[in-house]
Amino acid sequence: MIIANKLYLKYPDGTLGLKDVNLVIPSGEVVYITGPSGSGKTSFLKLLMGMESPSDGYLTVLGKDMNNINNRELRRLRRSIGPIFQDFKLLDGRTVYENVIIGMRFLDFSKSEIQNLALATIKRVGLDHKINSIVDNLSYGERQRVAIARAVARRPLLIIADEPTGNLDKDNSLNILDLLKSFKDNNTTVIITTHATHLIEDEQDCIKINVLNGKMSTEEVSYESNC
Amino acid sequence: MKVIVRNTGYFFREIKTIVKLDLLSNIFSIISLSFIFFLLSLIFSGGNIVEHMITAIEDEAQISVYYSDDIDVTIIGSQIKEISGIRDILYIDETEAKAEMTEIMGEESRIFELFDHNPFDPYIKVKIELDQVDTIVEEVSSISGVELVRDNKEILDKLKDISSLISLLGLLIVIAVSVATLIITSHIIRQGIYLNKEQINTLRLLGAPEYFIRLPFILEGLLMTILSGLMSNIMLFVVLKYIYSQTMSFLPFITLPKFNGIMTLIILITLGLSFALGLIGSLFGLKSTNK
Ligand SMILES: Nc1ncnc2c1ncn2[C@@H]1O[C@H](COP(=O)(O)OP(=O)(O)OP(=O)(O)O)[C@@H](O)[C@H]1O
Ligand SMILES: [Mg+2]
Repeated sequence: MIIANKLYLKYPDGTLGLKDVNLVIPSGEVVYITGPSGSGKTSFLKLLMGMESPSDGYLTVLGKDMNNINNRELRRLRRSIGPIFQDFKLLDGRTVYENVIIGMRFLDFSKSEIQNLALATIKRVGLDHKINSIVDNLSYGERQRVAIARAVARRPLLIIADEPTGNLDKDNSLNILDLLKSFKDNNTTVIITTHATHLIEDEQDCIKINVLNGKMSTEEVSYESNC
Repeated sequence: MKVIVRNTGYFFREIKTIVKLDLLSNIFSIISLSFIFFLLSLIFSGGNIVEHMITAIEDEAQISVYYSDDIDVTIIGSQIKEISGIRDILYIDETEAKAEMTEIMGEESRIFELFDHNPFDPYIKVKIELDQVDTIVEEVSSISGVELVRDNKEILDKLKDISSLISLLGLLIVIAVSVATLIITSHIIRQGIYLNKEQINTLRLLGAPEYFIRLPFILEGLLMTILSGLMSNIMLFVVLKYIYSQTMSFLPFITLPKFNGIMTLIILITLGLSFALGLIGSLFGLKSTNK
């Protein structure tokens, strides 16, 4: 569950990344955040991950008040999030497998659980034949799948993907969106930003939030039938 | 703790990655640290050897008492025995005196053949308690018939000067070594962190605990200093072995401490020190890069 109320984000140089954000995202949903470049999509994700703090207003993520979160709680919150960054942030020089389990090494999984989850997830993103390849040598799309596997293998409550379709053609974009959506379950929310609104026109059973100039809310766009 | 144990292999692979990222710096640091620790162990062994010599000489503390021929030596002897601080006395006649000197001079003693009579005088060898040497010399000198009292206090005083000089030097070197080690270790850790800052950032975004992120760097620092400590031990072993064999063949009357004993002592000291300094240096390095 994510709740934002009159949320503002002002960068040190004075730029307003977000202004007056009001929304409620229940858990177990697929959420698309759309909007033109520079509208504040990434800014919102940064707030969710605690990479920035609200300048004003109120934000809770998975029950944590992001205005008053200490380092310890922030680390714990991040362990429940599976982030897929726009630049993937893979660990260079390591294998696919190593990149996938790095997010699980410090979680409460046993060694065999880690192994099983990693293998299953790598298979699910279609990289089982590349499991021992060094990520530096993979194609863009393959690297993206590694990033997805790392994010979801740890069984997060919140999966966040920033612009996953940015560098893909239409077919591949749809495939990646389908893959990401497939990780939604009763507990797990999937949040995806994209400016490719045409790709999700036909999407059903999801929440679409449009951002304009840092303003976004779930009031006018509904998570109703047209979605 | 469980996480650390489960990830031991990972941490060591991480060290390898960190080291490989800047291999040359790491090698140079280890070489400089090895020489620094070598310097330290040299000064420690020097101090140890001098200390040993002092005790050996103190145990042998004795004075030589020369007397005029017209007096009964046993009378002087019995008077000496009354003085406090005397451990033992021994009468040495001319022939024994010559034999002693012949032994000390070795080859050179052939010079005595040039004399047509024995040039040595008889004397009394008096073993004493070293700390009372001044009063003993004074009292023995005042006995009638005593012409000359010779003591080895001068050598001892010299050795003690050397010893306190080495102590002072040792202290300065320990300080210098510590500072240099801390600087080198923390610098290399800082560099490692800098080169790995993207990965560290990623781990933070994934919620990794700080100890999980830092441990490889601390281990790297420790490994580096301990490795340097070991290298310096090898250097010391070679050098000391050489010094010992040279001393034994050319200066056999110098008593050196047991080689194994001194080596063990110094291995313990350097390893302890390199461990402590490596740990502190790494923590320094980490501290100074905290965002
Ligand atoms: N660190 C920063 N400092 C100052 N301004 C920033 C910073 N990051 C983002 N901004 C500004 O905040 C606004 C929102 O940026 P944001 O990255 O959230 O946009 P976005 O919707 O993700 O765009 P895109 O689709 O291009 O990724 C932009 O005007 C941007 O220039
Ligand atoms: Mg963006």
